[in-house]
Amino acid sequence: MLPRENILVVDLTSGRTRREEIPPELLHAYLGGRGLGVRLLRGRHTLPPYDPAMPLIFATGPLCGTAAPTSARLSVVSRSPLTGTVYDCSAGGRFAWRLRASGLLAVLVEGRSPRPVALAITSAGEEIVPADALWGMEIGDTVRALSSRGSVAAIGPAGENGVLFANVMMGEGNAVGRGGLGAVMGSKNLKAVAVDGDRRTPVADRDRLDRARADAMRLFRASPVIFGELGIAAFGTPALVDLMRQRRMAPTENFRRTVFEESSAYSGPAIRAAYGARKDGCFGCPIQCKKSGTDGRHLPEYETVSHFGALNGISDIHAIVRSNDVCNATGMDTISAAATLSAWGEARGRFPSPDEVVPLLRDIAARRGEGGLLAEGSRRVAEALGRPGLSMTVKSLELPAYDPRGAYGMALAYCTSNRGGCHLRAYPISHEILRKPVASDRFSFSGKARMIKIAEDVNAAIDSLVACKFAFFGASLEEYAELLSGATGGHHTPQDLKAIGERVCLTERFYNAENGFARADDGLPERFFTEPGSSGEGIEVPPIDRARFEEELTKYYRIRGLADDGSFPDPAFLSGQP
Amino acid sequence: MRDLIEKYAGKLARDRSAAPGRIGFAANDDAMVEGGASDLSRLSSDVLSRLSCLGMLAAVPSLPFPEYLVRRAAADVAALVPLDTETRTFLHDIPFVRKEELRADPAGRIASLLSARKGVVAEGIGIVAAGPVTLEQAYIHYSSVFHACYVKYLLDALRDGFRLPGEAEAFRAFREERLPAPSAEGLAFRPGPLGAPEEVLAEIRDVGRYTVERGLVDSFFGNISYRVGDTIYISQTAASLDELSGCVDPVPMDNRSTAGITASSELLAHRRIYEATGATAVLHGHPKFAVAMSMLCDEAGCPVKDCWKDCLRVRMLGDTPVVAGEIGAGGLAVRVPPVIGAPGKAIVYGHGVFAVGRDGFEEAFRSMVAVENRCREEYFRRLDARRGPGQSKSE
Repeated sequence: MLPRENILVVDLTSGRTRREEIPPELLHAYLGGRGLGVRLLRGRHTLPPYDPAMPLIFATGPLCGTAAPTSARLSVVSRSPLTGTVYDCSAGGRFAWRLRASGLLAVLVEGRSPRPVALAITSAGEEIVPADALWGMEIGDTVRALSSRGSVAAIGPAGENGVLFANVMMGEGNAVGRGGLGAVMGSKNLKAVAVDGDRRTPVADRDRLDRARADAMRLFRASPVIFGELGIAAFGTPALVDLMRQRRMAPTENFRRTVFEESSAYSGPAIRAAYGARKDGCFGCPIQCKKSGTDGRHLPEYETVSHFGALNGISDIHAIVRSNDVCNATGMDTISAAATLSAWGEARGRFPSPDEVVPLLRDIAARRGEGGLLAEGSRRVAEALGRPGLSMTVKSLELPAYDPRGAYGMALAYCTSNRGGCHLRAYPISHEILRKPVASDRFSFSGKARMIKIAEDVNAAIDSLVACKFAFFGASLEEYAELLSGATGGHHTPQDLKAIGERVCLTERFYNAENGFARADDGLPERFFTEPGSSGEGIEVPPIDRARFEEELTKYYRIRGLADDGSFPDPAFLSGQP
Repeated sequence: MRDLIEKYAGKLARDRSAAPGRIGFAANDDAMVEGGASDLSRLSSDVLSRLSCLGMLAAVPSLPFPEYLVRRAAADVAALVPLDTETRTFLHDIPFVRKEELRADPAGRIASLLSARKGVVAEGIGIVAAGPVTLEQAYIHYSSVFHACYVKYLLDALRDGFRLPGEAEAFRAFREERLPAPSAEGLAFRPGPLGAPEEVLAEIRDVGRYTVERGLVDSFFGNISYRVGDTIYISQTAASLDELSGCVDPVPMDNRSTAGITASSELLAHRRIYEATGATAVLHGHPKFAVAMSMLCDEAGCPVKDCWKDCLRVRMLGDTPVVAGEIGAGGLAVRVPPVIGAPGKAIVYGHGVFAVGRDGFEEAFRSMVAVENRCREEYFRRLDARRGPGQSKSE
């Protein structure tokens, strides 16, 4: 059994707040983070994303505030205005830790304030404060203005203006990205949440937790991806630039090609040489994969450099870093922003030049000029321009920087992901490319349906704990179940956690089904079935075999217990869940 | 899946870790697939059906050591805790289940233990190992458990003698009939220096296979590299040494590219060895007697508790230095390079052997063979000294 936990419910329409205990059976069945957030959406999951009654949920997990590595994180959950799916995103920094230290596992925000406000939370209580003066401010200024109130999660102009891929940004530079939850926050006139808890999180069995932590740390040190001299602790996620180039699966010029010959201009070593790239990262994290320049600026992640780079045909590292800066300042998702520019560029016959990107990004955040259309994301842009096939999206979410023709598990996982074309739901890059925990054949669909299903469940559990997926390039649920047992005093096994993850994944899919999503939405853009990638150096990158893809998708449905059309045989599925 | 079942059943038979014909697999794609010995594949299938997992392997080990460890364990003990590095890092411990616990619902009991660990020893059955994401993982976890049990049994037998009826006789049969000495005889090595990448890759592939075939490493463990100019060609992480085609990363010495992020976790150790010694080839394996002997220390009153990582001494096993150090980003990469230059070989506490070749792999391979044979001789010398060479009855 998990210890008792509290949630803060904030009604911005009335201005009322209340703290209440989370029903223990929900914690037992959903843990926290993504799982708890998804469960708390039940009953309101078919509301439009901007409906005042649609909740925006910030949920940490049972490991937050303990010595469990990479666990000072939270998930933010709502319904995405970009995709229309249920949506969650996990983020680190210090916010989650401060939130848990205020005696809360989660905050649920509902309603719409008549004027801009901020929410300030401490261990002693909370208050809704006017934020008219903050409205219009970029992230940095907002965070500085609220710094006396603790750690800050805020939206920038993009969230205020309803950019469909607006982020919620953590004051430490971490992003709640992709699906536009910043726009949901903006629709509630909520500019920021500041938290400043000071309580210690109780740990039931410190010795057990410490032993499990030592086990996890040994695995981190044994993982070349984490602590290897070429790994993410040393170079950040841009360590993947050279690898993706070598594997010939770096999306280039809106996925027309899969090799960008100039990618070494923004590789991990190149960024280190140009900007210093000192270690930075989330509270208490031993990996510190985030990198900051010697001037303190947050340096871009792999997907950001690759999409502002190869996807738009740009090799100017400084232009890429400036693009990242603008997205961080205005509160926009870098993957969707870069991919939308790329689709737009292909449609008009010219990708944006390095000098054009920053002004375009500012126009998007302000919904000014062409930015008004670009703020809608690539699917809507491509449709508006009469070229719907140029949007490289699944369920309207722009694909990240792993070309699906170079990793078939990734191709399948983009489509089965409940939040759209995301690499992090099943994260098959782990075994298809990074060989963790073991290698799988990236050019084969064999066994991938089962692998993807299991990995989705595992990652849903990780997102509910909430831990960082990078930890699982070394450790596994074996160690994290033991960390949880140490933290709570209960007995948790990896299988228990996978069962929770499965419940979360099915619940999300059920919500999506009730919002009209079906098998037709679980498909890749046509380009990947008809056009090859960039073959060479002994690596063939053919188009994906559509029949084999569809066969494996059907297998996935069967393994999940779904009908062959991806629907639920039991329309009363939800009522059977806690 | 059937091709994979055949592949890994063949590997278990070839590396002599499982008894021929006593290997059973199950794999769960969209339907359950079984292969191998029917009773064991059925057990695998029954266990697998209770877990969220892709593959399962149940096999009878080729040696009774895991079984003996269970039977020798105190009544209140439920897990084996080998202290070798692989176990400490990846397995943590090895739960076991006694015969009497398996009467009612063997699959359920085994599944319950596998819900939290990678492999278990089931008395009267053998080793059952899970493959959460791939079938290969089940094979790997079986190998890890077998390796760990082998090393632990060697050490326990040396420390405590034989305790079970028939144990001494079985051990003697193992020693006399089942334990061919590793050797480099009959193997062809390409003379160095090697230059062309194709030539380097072919030699790495061949030598990797030799190390498995000659019993210096279980397939999945170990790593191998060769340096040409400012490039290290090194086996990838999680690569089997007998299947290195397409699994070697070229890594520049100056780290100007990170494409080698998939290289072995021991890349740093290899690099520093090259920097410190001027060698052209590095071979790392886990020969079992060397692993076992490295864990024996006569130091009286030593305050170090975690010898495997904290011991700062350089001990000698014959002419081979032994140092402590964690794998990967731990201390191994710091402590091996300074001691490996002159002897051309070193043992890492509880972990395995590093050997270098100044001109190619032959010297490294022969060094590793010599270290293992020397450790084997020393092991049996100590065992005989403890028991008397003619003694064969159970104690």
